[in-house]
Amino acid sequence: MKEREKGGVPDDALIRTTLAGDDGAFGELVERYKGRAFAVAVGIVGDGDDALDVVQDSFIKAYYKLKEFRFGSNFYTWFYRLLVNQAIDRWRKSARSAEVPFDESWLSEDASPPDSFAYPRTPEDLARNRELGDALQCAVDALPEYHRAVIVLREVDGMAYDEIAKVLGCSVGTVMSRLHYARGKLKESLKSHREG
Amino acid sequence: MDCGTALGKINAKADGHLPREEEAALAGHLAGCSACAAEDAAISAAGPVLRALTGIRAMEKAPALDAMWTRVRAGIEESRETRRRSAWIARWAWIPAIAALAVLALLFYPAGTDRSPFHPSSFDVAVENVESDVATVALVDKGEDLPRVIWIIEDA
Repeated sequence: MKEREKGGVPDDALIRTTLAGDDGAFGELVERYKGRAFAVAVGIVGDGDDALDVVQDSFIKAYYKLKEFRFGSNFYTWFYRLLVNQAIDRWRKSARSAEVPFDESWLSEDASPPDSFAYPRTPEDLARNRELGDALQCAVDALPEYHRAVIVLREVDGMAYDEIAKVLGCSVGTVMSRLHYARGKLKESLKSHREG
Repeated sequence: MDCGTALGKINAKADGHLPREEEAALAGHLAGCSACAAEDAAISAAGPVLRALTGIRAMEKAPALDAMWTRVRAGIEESRETRRRSAWIARWAWIPAIAALAVLALLFYPAGTDRSPFHPSSFDVAVENVESDVATVALVDKGEDLPRVIWIIEDA
C-alpha cells in the first residue's frame, strides 16, 4: 500500500536492494513493519514476549524467503502470511488456551473501576479497568485460531477483507463469516462484563 | 423498527455494510431501546478495546521492539552460520558413508578363497584433507611389512 511507504523508498526497491546483498535495506523493512507486526502477533498469541519472538522469527524467515517474493504484489500481505502462520504455530505450541495471560504490571495501584459504562478506547483507559481487559483477553483466547487472526487483522491492523483473505488463503466470504462470529463473541464478553 | 431488525442492522453496521440511509433509522431505534443500545455499544467497542489491549502490550515491550532489527540481524547471522555448517556437512557427508562401506567390505570379504587378492590382517581407514577443497578416503592394509593402500577415493 502506497501510504505505508510514504516518504520512503518503496518496499519493492528495498527488497531488490536486499536481494542484491544490502542487509540494511531489509532493516528498513523491519523498521517499517515491526510495530504493526507486533500488534498482530500479540493479538494472536496474547503474550508480549511470545509476540516478540514471533515477529523476530517471521522477519528472519522472510529474509531467507525473499527470493520467492513476487514483485508487484504487496510485501506486507506476503509477510503477514508468514507472520500469522508463525503466530498460530506459536499459539499451538504454547497451548496457553487453558490460561489467561495477562500481565498485571501495567496496572497502577490506584486502579479504579470506570466511572461509567463507556467502554475504554485507549490503552490508558483500559489500563484502569483490569477486569474488562481480562474478560476481553479470555474471549480472544477462546476464539478458534483463524477467527482470532481475522479479528486481529481487521480490528487491530485495519486490513481490508480482500487483503485478509489473501493473507489467510481463504475467500472473502469466509473472512466475513469468521469476523462476524469473532465480533459476536467479543461483544458477548463486553456485554457480560458491563452487566455483571 | 423492531429489535430483531435492529440487531441485524447493528451487525451490518459493525461489518461496515449498513447503507448510510439506514443508519438514521437505526439510530432512532437505539435512542429509544436500551437493550439494543447496549448491544450496539458492545459490538462497536470490540475493535477499540482490542486495539487498546494490544496497545498496552506494545507499550510494555517498546524497548524490545525498538531493538527488533538488532535481534533480527543477529538471528539472520546465526541462521546463516547454521546453513553454512549444514552445507558443509552435506558436501562431505559421503566420507563417513564410504568409510563405513569400505570397512564392511573388508569384514565380509570371503577369506580363505583364492578369489581375494589379499587378506589384510589389520587395516586403517584414513580420511584426509577434509578442510581443503579435496578430500581423500584411503583404506590402508597395515600388514606385516610396509603399509599398502588397498583403495583410495578422492573428491575435489
